[in-house]
Amino acid sequence: MGLGLVESGKMPKPLTKLLSISRSYSMWVYQWGLACCALEMGAAFGSPRYDVMRLGVIPFPASPRQADLVVISGTVTDKMAPAIRRLYEQMPDPKYVISMGSCANCGGPYWDSYSVTKGVDQIIPVDVYVPGCPPRPEALLEGVVLLQQRIKDEDMQSRWRGEPIVVQ
Amino acid sequence: MSSSEDTTIPVSESPAADAPSEPAAPVDDLREGLVERLTELLGDGVVDHHIIPGKDVWIRVTADAWQHTAESVRYTLGCRYFGFLSAIDWMPSPWGRGMEAEVDTIVHGKEAKELPAQTTGYAGGDTRFQVFARVANIKDHFGITLKVDAGDETPSVPTWTKVFAGADWHERETWEMYGIDFVGHPFLRHIYLPGDFEGNPCRKDFPLLARFVKPWPGIVDVEPLPGSDEPGSDTAGSDEPAADASAPEETA
Amino acid sequence: MTAISDRQKLAYVAAQASDARVNLELETEGMILNIGPQHPATHGTLRIVAKLDGEQVIHAEPMMGYMHRGYEKLTEVRTYPQVTTLINRIDWVGSFANEVPFILAAEQLMGIEAPLRAQYIRTILFEMGRIANIILFLGDMAVQLGALTPIFYAFRDREYVLNQIEAVTGGRFHPNFDRIGGVKDDFPKGWIEDSLSAMVKVREFCDQMEDLLMGSEIFQARTRGVGVIPPDVAQQFGLSGANARASGIDWDLRRDSNVGLVYGDADWKVWTHPDGDSFARFWVRLQETREATSIVDQLLGSIKGGPIMAKVPRIIKVPEGEAYVATENPLGEMGYYIVSKGDLTPFRVKIRTASFNNVSITPWLLRGVYVPDIVTILGSLYFILGDIDR
Repeated sequence: MGLGLVESGKMPKPLTKLLSISRSYSMWVYQWGLACCALEMGAAFGSPRYDVMRLGVIPFPASPRQADLVVISGTVTDKMAPAIRRLYEQMPDPKYVISMGSCANCGGPYWDSYSVTKGVDQIIPVDVYVPGCPPRPEALLEGVVLLQQRIKDEDMQSRWRGEPIVVQ
Repeated sequence: MSSSEDTTIPVSESPAADAPSEPAAPVDDLREGLVERLTELLGDGVVDHHIIPGKDVWIRVTADAWQHTAESVRYTLGCRYFGFLSAIDWMPSPWGRGMEAEVDTIVHGKEAKELPAQTTGYAGGDTRFQVFARVANIKDHFGITLKVDAGDETPSVPTWTKVFAGADWHERETWEMYGIDFVGHPFLRHIYLPGDFEGNPCRKDFPLLARFVKPWPGIVDVEPLPGSDEPGSDTAGSDEPAADASAPEETA
Repeated sequence: MTAISDRQKLAYVAAQASDARVNLELETEGMILNIGPQHPATHGTLRIVAKLDGEQVIHAEPMMGYMHRGYEKLTEVRTYPQVTTLINRIDWVGSFANEVPFILAAEQLMGIEAPLRAQYIRTILFEMGRIANIILFLGDMAVQLGALTPIFYAFRDREYVLNQIEAVTGGRFHPNFDRIGGVKDDFPKGWIEDSLSAMVKVREFCDQMEDLLMGSEIFQARTRGVGVIPPDVAQQFGLSGANARASGIDWDLRRDSNVGLVYGDADWKVWTHPDGDSFARFWVRLQETREATSIVDQLLGSIKGGPIMAKVPRIIKVPEGEAYVATENPLGEMGYYIVSKGDLTPFRVKIRTASFNNVSITPWLLRGVYVPDIVTILGSLYFILGDIDR
């Protein structure tokens, strides 16, 4: 993919589409749960009933450097926010964020607290919001499926260039 | 129902070291005995006490006797189990509380109500801040709540860490949340909040700013669907007081 | 073990001594290792700053607050039913168990007693929350030590219990089901039979854990003698729950207090262990799970019909007063000290959580242990970050 082929647009569309599809079915999720939603995330990832690996999402990496996807599950506090930012920046591109649960979406039940960040999208860009308190594991799986559709429809050229993501 | 008002760690009529206690009688020998022994040990240190018979005992002591209180309950009364230590700010909140929270109504243009007078709870109190702690005797199954007046402007009490090592973190948290200085604590520093946090959050005059920005709309019976354009469907504002609320037991 | 000759022993000791001398000569300073707040082994956002000398810890300090949501301030602006919604997110694995002490304290300030069937329902759900919680612990401690299989079993078998809780309350682990004066709903049809079979599965799981883990040499070598807590120190720090019982303290609030749950109607025993090490804590919790299934079976067998809600006013105003109620939650003793001024909202709620006291012992406990033992000790103490940070 080097030699500037992707950025300049010389890579034919079917090939980038194929690459996007294969990317979406091989997402490595970073093992990180903050709060109660982490249990539902653990149930989705680890329990045999709501198996997430059948969707191609692999929950193995424990380090952000090897991950494509991070699921922010749980309340984001002001003390934790710099750590989240740093961990997000350590992930290599292309990276995706699913915000899981109402605390991560908008502050949730702690909307008036003095120490809670009202939504993780104040810190990092979010691709998919999964509502719920906590969302069922199936809801998280639907969020993953939505994200996969989004990735398939991505314009690889603009992504490679670092432009804002355009979804057709 | 006079006998089921309160409960301590275990409530029981088990035989105590002092005297046999009677289950349903209004006089609680066990707890009266505790107050007496503590008064013997502390003398003038014990300021006030309150007993709910069969259930619990509150004893208020002076700040000078606070450390000696810890030693007495631990070594003499046998309360070796440390429950917790925290503080109460008795000042009524300038922004009101609850569903008619003043902050919500003031933002919508109503006038602020007068503040009620400051009152304190069981075993009385003279100052705005009170530190209270709970210890328990596991063998004989009773617990004691101890209170001490901390002060109004610059509250401070001696530390309990020399007697109960577990009080360390509790005192740090109380210092952080209320600004109460614990004299003799090895290292008072932030435990929950980031190091540069300004203010003491649990004090009553610390506002919850999110409620100023977007006040609580009051109890809504049926939430309008998002995107609904009718102006009257939103019950934001205080024209619907809580007395109109129909189902406060439902989760809001 | 082959017989070790004296010469070998001498060589071993000499190697150790020379190692120590090298450390001294090189004047190796302690290295500061920062574990967390994101780390697979820290059960959430706990950060431990450990000053190490080689592999040994000189001083380890947990830094919390990464999940501090300000509960005590938030409860002052919420009505009692709203507080109930909020507080079952403190110990987010123990579901129903968080609401119960608060509701009981409010009821005792109001002078209301829930009807008997409601107390049975509460106790049954309480114990199911305990089972769900400890199943996770059993799997989690195994995964901290490196055994990957038990956690899959744990998640699978937890699903049975969570299904049951969800069938009654609607929420897998934030049930929000307790009301001042009783509970919200009654059991659905067929629930009792399903629960009994779920309990059978949980017992099978406990047997599997025992087979997989407890006899394993590696497990025993890693946990026996590690993180010993003497009983007096435990009491001073306020250690409660299985941590205290594993140090030999015979104290269980279910038996020793009289708070409005019906433990007296079932025949069960309190498990203690004299050692006080990590193995003891694991063992006590395993036995407690079995005991909890037996309690649920007995209570389901003896529950009678009746109302599930006492007469309470629609708008709940709790009379003036103070009350402290503590119950034996899965993590330890959890208590709520409610100060009420007769309003719709509490004046002050002090939440006494078990994990805060349990973790406050770690600076004392982690001196001189090796780095892998930090993980074992933290796993065996079993805290939930929401419980520490509130």
